[in-house]
Amino acid sequence: MTRLLCHLFKIVALANLTMALPGPVAAQTSDRPQVGLECVSYGRGPMLECLIDLKRRDGTPLDNAQITLGAIMPSMPMAHTIKPMKAASTGRPGEYKGTLTLEMLGVWSLDVDITGPVREKVSRNLLINVCKGDARCAASPAKAGDKGPEPGHGHGSSGHKH
Amino acid sequence: MSEALSAHAIGLSSDMAIMSLLALSSYLMLLVGRVSFGQQAFFGLGAYAAGVMTAMFHLPLLLALSIGMAIGALCSWLLALPTLHLSGLHYAVATLAFGEMARIALSGWHWQLSTPDGPVGPAGIDGFRDIRWLLENDVTPGAYLALTLTALVLVLAVLMRAEPTRLGIALRMTGQDPILTNTQGIGVAALRLFTAAAAGAIAALGGGLYAHRTTYLEPALFDPMLGVHAVGYALLGGLGTAIGPLVGVIFDLGLLEATQLFAGWRMVIFGGLVALFLRWRPRGLLDEALVHQISQTLAGFLLGPSAAAAHPANSGANAIPLKERP
Repeated sequence: MTRLLCHLFKIVALANLTMALPGPVAAQTSDRPQVGLECVSYGRGPMLECLIDLKRRDGTPLDNAQITLGAIMPSMPMAHTIKPMKAASTGRPGEYKGTLTLEMLGVWSLDVDITGPVREKVSRNLLINVCKGDARCAASPAKAGDKGPEPGHGHGSSGHKH
Repeated sequence: MSEALSAHAIGLSSDMAIMSLLALSSYLMLLVGRVSFGQQAFFGLGAYAAGVMTAMFHLPLLLALSIGMAIGALCSWLLALPTLHLSGLHYAVATLAFGEMARIALSGWHWQLSTPDGPVGPAGIDGFRDIRWLLENDVTPGAYLALTLTALVLVLAVLMRAEPTRLGIALRMTGQDPILTNTQGIGVAALRLFTAAAAGAIAALGGGLYAHRTTYLEPALFDPMLGVHAVGYALLGGLGTAIGPLVGVIFDLGLLEATQLFAGWRMVIFGGLVALFLRWRPRGLLDEALVHQISQTLAGFLLGPSAAAAHPANSGANAIPLKERP
């Protein structure tokens, strides 16, 4: 067993050595796009509709990107697997729209995976609150320590309706 | 749509492989008779350590994962030292308390570097974002799944290779009866320390892989439910072989979660099954007796009846006395 572990250690050490030589270099000047995100929740599920505004570093709209939306619950990692959905262009420059079906209310971490002209992934924590009837409620950024919807607060935490 | 579904399948498979590593770390602890509800802490420490190494020090991924594993092993070994003489409920509560201590400590950890895209590094309760090694090195999710599966297969191979050895047998003996094992001249304390370190390293490896898959971490990810699930997977799948915890993960994440079978009742079904198994099959689906039966049947099928009788698995040389079931 000890011999086996030693062999394993040698393999990992060798792999590290070979990987360490070229070594990844972090970009000093960033070409990361700017990602604007606005989401509203509505209906049963609840549904989460997100509008993504994609811009290059210089502020010009970024078109022809493939965007996939996904979500996890930080309080239960790997336990709630929401099917990722593609976001489609709305026709406006650099603007995309996609809808996810969540499993429950609470704090969700929304992943925006971008491929195409640029590769980027951003994640934002959103608080999905109770949204009664046909209302569409803004999904506000979750604050530190947010756990989920509070009883008696019927609409989005910001109270803002679309 | 099909691309999104394929991304879903890759994501789910990656989650299952990563969760399997955490379940294997719980399995190792259970083998030596330790019910640990704190393995999520080593998962979290490994995740943060590997994330810091690639995002802030720009180290290669394998080196970062190795450092994460070393930190996980060291912390687990350090926790094992003062808890060495605790048993049963006391040990379980001690590990749970450590898990929460680690999570709260991560909630208070602020250490960020300035970059052109803003600060990078752990920011307390707000988490640690932009662990972008995969993006910066053009590693596709499929390639990363292959790396994750390779790590899982390697860990599994080491554990399964160790099972029929003296070390593997000593681990099971320690779990069954530590006092009797001590009287056989086997150092139970050293064995438990070694196992804790190995289990910590495996959990940390899972954490490091998770950090780079999701690109962001926050302390809330490492709450006790994660550790409870890991123990549940090992108990459900079985303690007779290292494949057992994987069966538990496949059942829960691969079947109940992926197919949305029972939808909102999933946790009730999973929890109920664990409770039923604890009552009727305390060492899980693939317990030692079933694994022995399977290996006997396989040996008979592959080697023929006469050769199978001479096979070490059937000779009784490696047989471990099991406690009487209730």
